[in-house]
Amino acid sequence: MKLTRTKTFKAFAEPAWTNNPINMQMLGICSALAVTIQLRTAFVMTLAMIFVITGSSLIISLLRKIIPGNIRIIVELGVIASLVILTDEFLRAYYFEISRLLSVFVGLIITNCIILGRTEGFAMSNPPHLAVMDGIGNGAGYGSVLLSVAFLRELFGSGEVFGYDVIPQSFYDAGYEDMGFMLLAPAAFIIIGLMAWLQKYLSGTGEKDR
Amino acid sequence: MSDMAKSILFAVGMCIVLGLLLTTAATALQPLQQKNMEINRKKNVLLSVDLVSRDGKYTHEEITTLYDEKIDLFGATQTGAIVEENKIDREPVLPIYLYIEDDTIQAYIVPIDTQGVWGMISGYLAIEDDGSTVRGFTITRHSETPGLGGEIERQWFQENFEGKKIVNKHGTFVSVRVARGEVERQVPEEEKPHYVDGISGATLTGKYLSEGLKQVLSRYEPVSIRFRDNRIEKPGRSKKRAKGDL
Repeated sequence: MKLTRTKTFKAFAEPAWTNNPINMQMLGICSALAVTIQLRTAFVMTLAMIFVITGSSLIISLLRKIIPGNIRIIVELGVIASLVILTDEFLRAYYFEISRLLSVFVGLIITNCIILGRTEGFAMSNPPHLAVMDGIGNGAGYGSVLLSVAFLRELFGSGEVFGYDVIPQSFYDAGYEDMGFMLLAPAAFIIIGLMAWLQKYLSGTGEKDR
Repeated sequence: MSDMAKSILFAVGMCIVLGLLLTTAATALQPLQQKNMEINRKKNVLLSVDLVSRDGKYTHEEITTLYDEKIDLFGATQTGAIVEENKIDREPVLPIYLYIEDDTIQAYIVPIDTQGVWGMISGYLAIEDDGSTVRGFTITRHSETPGLGGEIERQWFQENFEGKKIVNKHGTFVSVRVARGEVERQVPEEEKPHYVDGISGATLTGKYLSEGLKQVLSRYEPVSIRFRDNRIEKPGRSKKRAKGDL
């Protein structure tokens, strides 16, 4: 069997591309607006997100047979919230500068609908190895959008990539100006909208399929 | 066992496990986190007087050594005298940091704690020994909107303050204010030394910060006047208490 046909691969690839949480499902947009002004913050946010979503999917999937059905949402939230707090504490202890840049947004991973959606919709009914792949896939799908948006916003908004100047001084001398609009939240909205359109166009899933 | 009992048991179990986990993590990491915050504070004090650079990488030891060597915390009385902080039994004093080199005061540093749009803005403003020129400004903590008011943490904004005057040419205290937009375009010529470039989209943050700086600096005005008149006496060094800083 080809690798791309396995269930495991599908669990990863589907959320990462064909069913991307941001572009296709329109989830997790709130945080995508906030942390995409600079690539550096978007990158750390991506790592934190992958850790939390994979970890919570794994734990919930392992416990899925003993979690009582009537309190399952509370249990899912408890696990997610604990992992987020751990991440936050860890960042503040070992990557102080970056945790300062991310400020409240690490804590707000708890409210990211993608994670609760995946634990409830996938991990509760699938074995651990699939749940982990699904978690990584969703994290990667979320992260790839985050990083692309951050790249565009940082490049056009501040003329930098990962904090390094990339627009040559001669451009500025010739009258080029950074787009202040790119630093505002609406810019992220527009970019995400365009990317969602682009992906739907490329994958051929338009309105007609609904 | 009934479903109800099972659910309650599971919930209690989960609380205990997660509670223990989080407590352990928080307790174990707390010393590191506090050390980070302390180093960050010291680094910002040093930044405000330009002893370290913003892009430079420094080890914790370098920061601590430099800080202990050059910076000292004192108290400023209401008449503007600088006293050792432990002589504060009778009079309330304001904390003031002195940057001392070659046994002379190079600059004094005023801690800024003021209301922003969404929360407190904290930082340090350093003023030269002439009592009127801003030597540097740093922000250690704020909760302004990222990308808008949050831009106050950016280098260009903070460097903006360097060389600005808190008194006008008649010797009257005017503080430094954040302009609406660029100083070059918005501010009349004779006011330019007292204004810094503002952040577009963050008029309110600028307004709060201007107001806050004015309030804090006017409280320190007695000290500044002494510096301007060259009537400042250097208090004895208080190295032994260097640890007991704010």
